[in-house]
Amino acid sequence: MTTAALPPFWSLVEAHGAELLAHARRLTGDQHAEDVLQDAMLRALRAYPRLRHAEHLRAWLYRVTTSAAMDHHRTRRREVPTDEPPGGTAPPEYDDGAFEALIAPLPEATRAVLRLRFVDDLDYDELGARLGCSPVAARQRVSTAVRTLRKRGIPA
Amino acid sequence: MTLPAALLDSIASAAVREGLADAVFTRLSTPIGRLLIVQGPRGVVRVGFEEDPEDQVLAGVAARLGPRIVGSDRELAATRDAVEAYFAGDDESLAVPVDLQLVRSDFRRAALEALRDEVGPGHVVTYGGLARKIGRPKAARAVGTACATNPVPLIVPCHRVVPGSGGVGSYGGGPDRKRRLLAHEGAILA
Repeated sequence: MTTAALPPFWSLVEAHGAELLAHARRLTGDQHAEDVLQDAMLRALRAYPRLRHAEHLRAWLYRVTTSAAMDHHRTRRREVPTDEPPGGTAPPEYDDGAFEALIAPLPEATRAVLRLRFVDDLDYDELGARLGCSPVAARQRVSTAVRTLRKRGIPA
Repeated sequence: MTLPAALLDSIASAAVREGLADAVFTRLSTPIGRLLIVQGPRGVVRVGFEEDPEDQVLAGVAARLGPRIVGSDRELAATRDAVEAYFAGDDESLAVPVDLQLVRSDFRRAALEALRDEVGPGHVVTYGGLARKIGRPKAARAVGTACATNPVPLIVPCHRVVPGSGGVGSYGGGPDRKRRLLAHEGAILA
């Protein structure tokens, strides 16, 4: 049985939960870190029985937490308009600097692409038009950047 | 450093609600030391004493029920209440659902089921007597093994099984604990 060696999930949460919460806090800010971590742990539980080996589980949890943080930014961006009165000019409450902190390690050109996708919420057709490339190429640029961030999601 | 308790509870409850937990465990302080209680969808599958390495106990459950094991006092509140009522002397029936899937053989399962159903608090039975109850009068020694490997001590009351030759006999949690439990139930003098 391939999953025989997987440790009981909670032992990972008890061992790494605090540092994962700190990671979530760096990516999304204090206010949302706990929600993001909970979402990440539920995602991890969904995938856990399908893992093929029990190695690098801490790094895997960091990646899952990073993904949850990215999706959190995306979802909130979509939710914001319903919270605003029509024509309201209030700055979006999600703009807490966390997204910039998250993408800070990337080159500026890549950061600009991610801002268009996740902050301005352009879809890939719009993004392609803005970047002068096909929607497919636009999607690839975003997914490559996201992958880079996930790989970098683990502090030494 | 661990996560805030409220966040751990929230994660565990969400996992149970979404059907993502193969089993849930809780740690409970009792007069016989800290117990680790692990429960699956059908009932309690494992009880560990405080000297049983927790990793090993949970790994044993994971091997059988799956590795998605979460910790939550809240999700196991009913079971905790029953165990606390037992030690308070309020309700010694310990009538919580039990799941004997960690028991390795049908014979052992039959012995433990008979023990649970037929030997109540304040009573004891001999190994030979329990063997007779399950229609295997010569299997006293095998009944001893069933008790020694009981995955859910206390809840399946193997402390109520004693040698025909006298004394309390051996116990997975040590003879002192067995004596304390029997004295608590009024089966022997303290």
